[in-house]
Amino acid sequence: MIMSTRAITIAGFAIVIAAIFLLEFLARRPGSRIPTLGQWLGYLMRPRIGRVLILLGWWWLGWHYFAR
Amino acid sequence: MATEDVPRGHDSLGQRPGFPLRPGRRGSRVRAAAIGAVLAGYAWAAGSAAPFSTTALVCVLIPGVVLAAIAYGWPPRRIPPPDRLDATGMSYWVIVVAALFEWEASAFRDNSLPWHPSLTDLVNPLIGPHIVKSAAILLWILAGWALVRR
Repeated sequence: MIMSTRAITIAGFAIVIAAIFLLEFLARRPGSRIPTLGQWLGYLMRPRIGRVLILLGWWWLGWHYFAR
Repeated sequence: MATEDVPRGHDSLGQRPGFPLRPGRRGSRVRAAAIGAVLAGYAWAAGSAAPFSTTALVCVLIPGVVLAAIAYGWPPRRIPPPDRLDATGMSYWVIVVAALFEWEASAFRDNSLPWHPSLTDLVNPLIGPHIVKSAAILLWILAGWALVRR
């Protein structure tokens, strides 16, 4: 029972991460309406506050995974 | 193919291999290699820091401060962002990112490692080996640089 719940959780993360790679792949096809990860992050970083928040998020990820 | 070695059209001395008459290009390659070596060395050293130690915190702080200083004081040439995003195309990203946050939030709220591990619980063992952690730190620094250029 524990294993099945754990497996479902891991499968959920795997599906979401696979979807991210799939979207990035689809976005890089010529004429795609889907923006790439870099494009929409760049769009969010146009205002200064967006730039600061995205960079803070990047730093938080590093702190969370490498300093803790 | 072997014929690719043969100069075609006008034979410019500067375009022949072995005649680096454009020091700017060669210089930039050398500089990029040097920066890559420094970053790899830094990531290797940072990867050896014990979790929850001051060293680990400083190793994460330094790239943040350096990139923040570059972004603020000496901003590189930025990749121009799109003027607008397609709403339908962007909605796919919103769904996926929301699903990721929701899944992580439910795992965090459940607070049960064996039953419902969070992404952090799953990633931490993966980046346990020194070489993997160092590679992840290098990737993180490069991602930060890519963000500064956006």
